[in-house]
Amino acid sequence: MTTLLAVENLTVKIANTTLLSAVSFHLNAGDYLCVLGPNGAGKSTLLKALLGIIKPTAGDITIGQQAISQLSQKQCAQKISYVPQAHGLQLDFTVIDFIKMSRYAYHTALSDWATDDQAAFEQAIAITDTESFLQRQMQTLSGGERQRIMIAAALCQRASLLLLDEPTSFLDPHYQAEVHQLIRHLNQHHKISIIEVSHDLNHAAQHSSSILALKQGKKMWFGASSEFLETGHVHTLYEQQFVFTTHPQTGAKIALVSEAS
Amino acid sequence: MKSSQRSTLLFIALATLIIVIVSPFLGMSHTTTAEIQQQILTEIRLPRMLFAFIAGTGLALCGMVFQAMFRNPLATPFTLGVASGASLGAALYVYLGLSFSFIGIDGTSFAAFSGALISISFVYYLSRFRSNFSTETLLLTGVAISFFFSSLILFIQYLSNITDSFRILRWLMGSLSIVGYHDILQLLPFVTICVAVVLWLSRELNLLMTGDEIALSRGVNVQGIRYALFFVSSLCVGAIVAVCGPIGFVGMMVPHICRLLIGHDHRWLIPATLLFGGGFLILCDTIARLIIAPAEIPVGVITTLLGGPFFIWLLIKARI
Repeated sequence: MTTLLAVENLTVKIANTTLLSAVSFHLNAGDYLCVLGPNGAGKSTLLKALLGIIKPTAGDITIGQQAISQLSQKQCAQKISYVPQAHGLQLDFTVIDFIKMSRYAYHTALSDWATDDQAAFEQAIAITDTESFLQRQMQTLSGGERQRIMIAAALCQRASLLLLDEPTSFLDPHYQAEVHQLIRHLNQHHKISIIEVSHDLNHAAQHSSSILALKQGKKMWFGASSEFLETGHVHTLYEQQFVFTTHPQTGAKIALVSEAS
Repeated sequence: MKSSQRSTLLFIALATLIIVIVSPFLGMSHTTTAEIQQQILTEIRLPRMLFAFIAGTGLALCGMVFQAMFRNPLATPFTLGVASGASLGAALYVYLGLSFSFIGIDGTSFAAFSGALISISFVYYLSRFRSNFSTETLLLTGVAISFFFSSLILFIQYLSNITDSFRILRWLMGSLSIVGYHDILQLLPFVTICVAVVLWLSRELNLLMTGDEIALSRGVNVQGIRYALFFVSSLCVGAIVAVCGPIGFVGMMVPHICRLLIGHDHRWLIPATLLFGGGFLILCDTIARLIIAPAEIPVGVITTLLGGPFFIWLLIKARI
């Protein structure tokens, strides 16, 4: 196992508020890491620091032996791609233009669309099965369709690490399952390492390979997903009592919010 | 989609060409000799038209850049205080009774350009000071500066004698009637550099429209590109306003119309905006020249008269 991403003592302070404090963890190539934690725990801040959107106050982030702070924004984009939290921004583009734009990191102002670009584009479309949307306008897409396009665009970057910020919030159960299936497929069949910020405790426990639990900007727990529900950390993480049962089909351990007050 | 964009662009180019060909000949007096007509054409109409084209192009392009950069239809160099800074510079120049020229540049232009630069630097400094370069901060700063400078201009006008006061007012209305070839040469480098930089950054402009986070994650150096665009467009508008006064609304109106016509892809939008902006200002100037001929209305009055209702229509119709 080679280490793809190493985060050491990552600290982010903005205007005297500490958003992340000395968080360390690592990710092996092929890992699927879920970041859990209550609202305001610093999950999105962590992703933004990894992307270079926020500059860390202290600490080191290295990807494939290189410090992120030494990479240009384009070099960074060739290594890490990102699916943001659903936002309300109007995207006045056709789907095809939107996806093709994400090859930016491989271009200069004068370079043309090359065979590499076309190959990456076609593969991204095939994996996400979005061929039929290509001519549509971005703003006509439903939430689930839009998320698939966002993933297709990120895939076009051919990065080895994909970051997703709550990719299934605001989606109905059908689309939630669809998007999660797609993410697992990317991880297992295309060897893309994943970091997903999620509020779906059971999804994280069952389908990811490791879990990072953050609370108030600090690392609370980091380890294999299969162990997380056994530790009892889940109650303190969310300050909420949970009860456990098993999934009728898979037999996996499931956490449910306790009804007792 | 691509072929319809191509035909729209062709249509805009054709309309601009017709305006360019027809407008110099409109309002030609038939009582004068052919020789004088010839002279009017080459020494007055032609430089004026060229200037209108270049100024219109620059104003429209800078409006487009600011709107795209800040994803806000109200963010133009005008709303960000460039014009008010320039106006204050010109008003002070007139009030203080200064009269000089600097490397061939007329004193009023020089004062206006300096005023524009000062207000740009001020807005830039404030937005930088506030750690994040957000649209709201910028717009609010621009609006505050505009109000502050407008009051100062009123104050200067109040203190001035009636002749100076009228000169200031006349400058504020914006006009293309005083230009000759040297004004064009003075303007050309600023507009050329701006057009070149914007064309060079058309991919980045498209990505900026998707939001800062996505643009950054795709590899765009958002902050650096924003500063570069902010400076070249502010300098370009400053240079234009310095010569012909604050010709309002071209920068806000033209890019909006072009977006409606040709869509948001900057590879098409940039050429469309350049042509439309140039043609539109020539048209406005021709109307300004003809409507109460032989007298002239300041062209700024025409663009603003068209711009006001357009802006209200936009407020009612579009999603702001």
